[in-house]
Amino acid sequence: MVTIHTQYQSRFREITQVPGETFQLTEPLVAELATTLAKKYGPLMESLLIDKETRELNTRGTMYLDSKGRRIYMEDRLADGETIAFLVGIAGG
Amino acid sequence: MESRLLRVNLTTGEMREEILPHSLFERWIGGSGINNWIMWEHFLSHDINCDPRGPDNIFVFGVGPLAGSGSGSGVKGRITFKSPCYGIFGDSAAGGKFPYMVRFAGFDHIAITGKAPRPVYLYICDGSAVLCDAAHLWGKNSAETHLALQAEHGDYPSQTHTLTIGVAGEHQVGIASVVSDASRIHARGGGGTVLGSKNLKAIAVQGSGGIKIHNPSGMLQWSEDFRKLIDANEAIYGFKRRGTLGAVEMYQHIGSHFWRNNQGSLFRGEEVRSDNWVKKYHKYSEVCSADCFIACDGRYKIDGTESEKSKKYVGETFRRPEYLTTGSAAGALDVRDWSEIAHWGKVTNDYGIDNQDLSCSISFIMEMKEKGEISERDVEELFGRPQRLEWGNMDDIEALLHNIATRDNLFGELFNDGPYWGALRYSELKGKNFMKYSIYGKGGASFTEEMRPFPTWMNNMAVASRGADHLKGIGLIEKFQRRDLSQRYFNGRTEAADMTIPDLKGASTALIENQVALINSYGVCLFHWMLDPAGFAPEEHYGPAYADVTGISRTPAELMKDGERICNLEKAFNSRLGLRREHDTICERWMYEPTTEGMYPGSVAADMFETVLDEYYEWRGWDKVTGLQKESKLIELGMEDVAEVLASDRALARG
Repeated sequence: MVTIHTQYQSRFREITQVPGETFQLTEPLVAELATTLAKKYGPLMESLLIDKETRELNTRGTMYLDSKGRRIYMEDRLADGETIAFLVGIAGG
Repeated sequence: MESRLLRVNLTTGEMREEILPHSLFERWIGGSGINNWIMWEHFLSHDINCDPRGPDNIFVFGVGPLAGSGSGSGVKGRITFKSPCYGIFGDSAAGGKFPYMVRFAGFDHIAITGKAPRPVYLYICDGSAVLCDAAHLWGKNSAETHLALQAEHGDYPSQTHTLTIGVAGEHQVGIASVVSDASRIHARGGGGTVLGSKNLKAIAVQGSGGIKIHNPSGMLQWSEDFRKLIDANEAIYGFKRRGTLGAVEMYQHIGSHFWRNNQGSLFRGEEVRSDNWVKKYHKYSEVCSADCFIACDGRYKIDGTESEKSKKYVGETFRRPEYLTTGSAAGALDVRDWSEIAHWGKVTNDYGIDNQDLSCSISFIMEMKEKGEISERDVEELFGRPQRLEWGNMDDIEALLHNIATRDNLFGELFNDGPYWGALRYSELKGKNFMKYSIYGKGGASFTEEMRPFPTWMNNMAVASRGADHLKGIGLIEKFQRRDLSQRYFNGRTEAADMTIPDLKGASTALIENQVALINSYGVCLFHWMLDPAGFAPEEHYGPAYADVTGISRTPAELMKDGERICNLEKAFNSRLGLRREHDTICERWMYEPTTEGMYPGSVAADMFETVLDEYYEWRGWDKVTGLQKESKLIELGMEDVAEVLASDRALARG
């Protein structure tokens, strides 16, 4: 069992209605965190988070970073106490 | 594909219509590609080393074949010219309705040369064009000019759409911009300066025609498929309400803001770090053009309840500020109130001036004051009055904006070409080198984002053909750490997505410059690509639509070559002007001063800069020592004629 903190921005926060939360995961995997979020928040979150075709984390217009600023992937393991930020992938303007 | 060019000689008043040959599209696609070629040809018979503010400079407006075609991909018009502030290739894009209205009026490109003896505006209506007296418009800001022209020409045979300059362009301020329909700005490079120098206050257009589509049913199907992809992308739903303001929180998270002349990488002030814009200010969303499936534009109207400072602006309404307006105010100048940031966006549009070079000129002088480099006497000399030069004080900042936009004191005169030239001139005046406080890249152009942790972005700032800028080779693979894209474009290699190493960063710049050149030539919006509803491959995604509209079928590989050809023409233009490797550079702060905050502290460009630049030249097939193009590359791209010109100018490398 690991404790994982999340931070949400933009569309993620609109869907979750909270700036962040804490989860207890039985498997320390990004895949489990993604599944947990999709289950908790329903099809909008699933569509935003998970690519329908590849079942990987969606890369289109979104970004997910660990506390060292590295992008995370489904197969990555999560350290106990890690914070994952769910961000938009947009630049410039 | 039938396309018309309107040539206007302001000196003689002569106007001539030309049908652009089909072969031109096979070589240059349209939009920016054809704009570039028109300018290239112009400077084969005019001195390329001419004064950009003189009558020999050319101003080209153009719009690509997909713009207004019903593709739903957004619309971008492009202006192309020799830049007055940087002295190199200049171009700038803006969306809105003006670009496709030009097509509805019968033209895809407008090329303007010479200088009118007195202020005029160009009026185009359904295939005819006339120069009109603009004495009554001179002195008006861009919004007032737009409204006056709308009132003058009315809504028949269509609404009137405009390109205008503000007071900055009239004063030939080097960083003056061109404003489309009073609210969308061709900001960079000094296009407004060129129009001001030609005494051309505006272009007004009305059009009731259509656009000929080669394969209408194919185009409709393509468009419907694209709409479904956009609707299925949940991230775009968030973008519709925020536009690029969605980047504010993300940049705050990673430390990619430009704070107080880039002394820091994070915004200060709770208000501007959060999503308060959407909660307090967003009144409604708009489409910038009728040919866009995203509709990311938004509008505010201040009622005075938003914040204490908002009381100053009660009733003010304008477009939502985009990220770089916010970066220039909340970042470069440390303004911490959203109503002031929004107002900054409006007034810079009204004056018609680039907020990037403007804010970096102001933040330069503010940092000089903060560091004790200038005394009260120096301030008095610069401004002709006591001036606080206080970070975040919008009233003071607006006074400095006025000084630059009208060149009405020494500060305004010194900095009218932006922070590089301003700092250089002030250093010469005072006999002391202050360049370490000036933030700039190639050409002296400035930019208000923290880029030191991102080697691709630092490379962009050094090599972009129009001077330091993100919209030529935008480093998205690296910044968004898109391992999938790195693998796709670089034979399974992942390094382009890893910002901690130099590998594939120069290659990424070259790749994306080619793709962006393609998008700009189609005439569509970059965000339809950047948000990635269709797989981030403009050569694959838009190719069939381009064929449906023009009847010109190109394979993805051919289209990538087309993009590369367009980039090479921009490069050739700069090589003719004498630019070499040493001009592909960035300022001292970006190069040597490490970042101190954000997710990637301790970052400096110098660690990887030269390695990445070498790789960029290698992937381009250019000479690493001189930075010049090689003849073999130009022959490969079918640019033998360009190679000949470069050879005669001694601007071509062997090999």
